[in-house]
Amino acid sequence: MFSREKRGKIWLVIVSCCSLFLLLAAARNGLPEPKLQPTAKPGDCSACHGKDILPDRHSDTKEMNWKGCQTCHKKDKMALVSKMPGSHLHQLEGINCVSCHGKTEKPEALEMDKCVACHGSTAALAEKTAKVKPENPHTSPHYGTELDCNLCHHQHKKSENYCSQCHKFDFIVP
Amino acid sequence: MAENEKTTKTLTRRNFLKSTGGAAAIAGIALGGVATLAKDSAAVCEPMPTKWDETYDVVVIGSGFGGLAAAIEARNAGASVAVLEKMPVFGGNSIINGGDFCAPGTKMQKEAGIQDSPDIMLKDMLKVGMYLNHVDLAETVADQSKDALEWCQNYLGARFTRLNFHGGHSVKRAHQTVNASGSELVNKLLVKAKELGVKLQTRTKLVRFVSDKEGRIVGVEVLKGYQFPNEKTGKPLYIKASRAIVLSSGGFSRDIKLRQIHDPRLNDRFESTNQPGATGEALLAACTARAMDVQMDWIQLGPWTSPDEKGFGYVPLFCERLVGYGPMINPKTGKRFFKETGNRKERADAIILIGDPVIILGDSYAVPKQVFPNALEKGMQVGAIKKFNTLEELAKNYNMPVPVFLEEIARWNSYVEKKKDTDFDCMIFPDAKPTVTAPFYAARLWPKVHHTMGGLVINKDGQVIGFDLEPVKGLYAAGEVTGGVHGAVRLGGVAMADCIVFGRIAGRNAAKEKPWG
Repeated sequence: MFSREKRGKIWLVIVSCCSLFLLLAAARNGLPEPKLQPTAKPGDCSACHGKDILPDRHSDTKEMNWKGCQTCHKKDKMALVSKMPGSHLHQLEGINCVSCHGKTEKPEALEMDKCVACHGSTAALAEKTAKVKPENPHTSPHYGTELDCNLCHHQHKKSENYCSQCHKFDFIVP
Repeated sequence: MAENEKTTKTLTRRNFLKSTGGAAAIAGIALGGVATLAKDSAAVCEPMPTKWDETYDVVVIGSGFGGLAAAIEARNAGASVAVLEKMPVFGGNSIINGGDFCAPGTKMQKEAGIQDSPDIMLKDMLKVGMYLNHVDLAETVADQSKDALEWCQNYLGARFTRLNFHGGHSVKRAHQTVNASGSELVNKLLVKAKELGVKLQTRTKLVRFVSDKEGRIVGVEVLKGYQFPNEKTGKPLYIKASRAIVLSSGGFSRDIKLRQIHDPRLNDRFESTNQPGATGEALLAACTARAMDVQMDWIQLGPWTSPDEKGFGYVPLFCERLVGYGPMINPKTGKRFFKETGNRKERADAIILIGDPVIILGDSYAVPKQVFPNALEKGMQVGAIKKFNTLEELAKNYNMPVPVFLEEIARWNSYVEKKKDTDFDCMIFPDAKPTVTAPFYAARLWPKVHHTMGGLVINKDGQVIGFDLEPVKGLYAAGEVTGGVHGAVRLGGVAMADCIVFGRIAGRNAAKEKPWG
């Protein structure tokens, strides 16, 4: 339908729009726009984010995995959980882009069955979090246990508390 | 290349502008003032795509009570059906509603010794609706709601376990779902729709209706993969409705711009009980496709919401179970100020007139008896409902003049004893007792935007009426997106009845339409 040249132009527009969006999103978070380096090691924060992402005397993270981060970043103010998009946690645990999206040039948004395949059934998860206060975040009178994981646990942007649209539940969302 | 061709839309904006249709549309814009062009330009503004991406007999917009009931009935009438939901979850506002379904003359009412009939329900609806109701529509709801409730119970397996009263009704006729939430019914509707093979899609947003040269609605343009509220997301797609479309996209309580056009008072200082997707773009798209709207400025505020919690919250379930059992007090005076069992509009207006939140209270006889335990517990957890050991403690907490307040409670108690309120004519229930048993429970009340009574004009067959006062061919509507059923004020518990009754009618009739093309 489109000539090669036109396709190129369309892509240029899409890419510029996406970049602008990322730039705006980054500006809102107070971080400079990350430059995706697909070959960088998961722990190499500064490869994509620049060296200012880490404090001056922070130990070298290049070889670190998620367990390594957690040696210091345990909880409260130091916690990293809920501060990084979920994909970062996945990467640090050795789950890379291909693990979820498969080998493709154009990765697409995924359904929650991909999450369930590794993380187990939503019903079992709800049992595991039954005692979380003020409410079990993995079941509700509205949607049962079948609310899409991605509504809270975003992978490529900061996670959110979907319930808080209507409720005052102060969940920390990884 | 081949793959690209498959995914490329056959009608892009650029192609359209190049085509003759586009040229005509541009000419139409240029000659906008020429009246004779009006009808033709309406058609050319919505060009038919050269290819439809998906085709169904009936396309339903919205996945609340109305949309799902329509989908099930259309499917059972033999139609292939798709339900399009713009949000990432199904259920719209219905899945967060309070789960009260009004119907007259039911088994539960008979067991409770309540005498009721469609006539009495209709009278209540018209009186509270200030006689602005389209009577044939209100009558349809009153006549068919018992059957609709039984369909929900017997065919879908939804459980209704309690009979409740709502302000403005003359008897208890609200049948409450087992979990005091509309989710009980929505989830049963979803199970049934899936079982029947209805194609359910989330994140699919209506952009506009497509009509043919005669103005018959033939399909929709949507954004698939839409991520609310980002208008730049989603891929354009054309979906053909061979027989008809049922629009059941809900109200516009969360659409501040649109609601302020119709009621300029309702600016962003007023919160809403509704889900964030309760906006009016689908209704406006129907108007653009020649559908007529009515009574758009009758926008209901819930008088039972709390400023101390988000959204609908738990306080409405506390407040509405207590009216007729406990008094509503203006903390500024320490006195009652209005009929507790009055309708929503009267009460909301009375509170807004005071200008600050008021309180409702109940004692340890009324509260455990009337209030759903979960609602009470959760309301207390978030701090919207408070418990007090004495009435003095309660009065002090809300900065009320203690002696005046105590005197007012004694006065209220005397009315409860006599079962007659000579101050405000509050309906006092036979099993109500004086407010004397400690501990006492109270919550603050401040109105939130709750329901938009106005919307598309429909007839009793669920057909949408156009500006030529004739049905817009191929377009049906049900539920809150329509106007006229409730007139000026919707009674509590009648929304569920309205949605199921008219959803079923619209679905059945949509499936009966002759296929076009």
